[in-house]
Amino acid sequence: MNDAELVQQVLDGNENAFRFLVAKHERLVLHVVGRIIQSQDDVKDVCQEVFIKVFRKLKRFRGDSRLSTWIATIAYNTSISHIRKRTRQAEHSYDEQPGLILGQEDTSLNQKMVEQEEIKHYLLQLIEELPVHYRTVLTLFHLEEFSYREIEQITGMPEGTIKSYLSRARKILKEKLERVAELEKTNIFVHYAE
Amino acid sequence: MCIMQNKNIQTNSETFLNEVLKSEPKYTLPENFADMVAGKMARRFAWELYVKEFLVYLGAVTGILAVAVIMAFIWFAADLKAWTDFLLANISWVAGINILGLFILFADRVLLRYLFYKISLRQV
Repeated sequence: MNDAELVQQVLDGNENAFRFLVAKHERLVLHVVGRIIQSQDDVKDVCQEVFIKVFRKLKRFRGDSRLSTWIATIAYNTSISHIRKRTRQAEHSYDEQPGLILGQEDTSLNQKMVEQEEIKHYLLQLIEELPVHYRTVLTLFHLEEFSYREIEQITGMPEGTIKSYLSRARKILKEKLERVAELEKTNIFVHYAE
Repeated sequence: MCIMQNKNIQTNSETFLNEVLKSEPKYTLPENFADMVAGKMARRFAWELYVKEFLVYLGAVTGILAVAVIMAFIWFAADLKAWTDFLLANISWVAGINILGLFILFADRVLLRYLFYKISLRQV
């Protein structure tokens, strides 16, 4: 079933079609919402809100873009509104969390980390600490494999900004990762060199 | 030797980073999330449909009454003043009957249908 048929079925009131639509896109919505709001307690409610909005606005979906792009746009906007509401008193903390951007010393690096799983966990944690726009573009580009143009549609950011966020985020993460490798005085990626 | 090792670390860190970036974040949704949302939306859809139908009925009944009143005044020369006086004198009865009629229509078109719909869902 293609997007247009699925949308038509949902508009006709077919509950199973809507269930299918939710099941098909829940992972995408979870990733976008989760990475932006970063609170397991709120994730379920916000995801539900996203799908309610999808249902309400479905009549307006004209098929100009993929359904997943359109749903991701709703998920992005809903999540941004959610964190704006939540952190209205500290707006700057939503825009920028300069700790990682300015390359402040990370004391947790002193810990001995030899296991790749631990490093993976550490990197995932670093991703969560990146500013919201960096996390969003990383998630959309790498995890959901959207193109630059689609990310532009979803977030409303210009393509140049998206590329810049992506490259800066990757640079930050790579530097941290290489520092871990240096601190370990060994090639922790030996598995990847094979 | 040292430069080569650094290059190796860089290449391998790139591969490692790509893998991490493709890893699932820690957030989860309940197993039955799709069922939950679909069920909720189906109930909402049903409710909105019933309310819409109720409004259509209400519009039709009001329209028929309006036509009847117009016909009464045009063809049967009903006395507007007498009718107004009668309605104002029995305002509580008139309002009560209207509200009761409205409620019966609402219960019949919306509440009972929604109740039966929910019962049918439970049976399923």
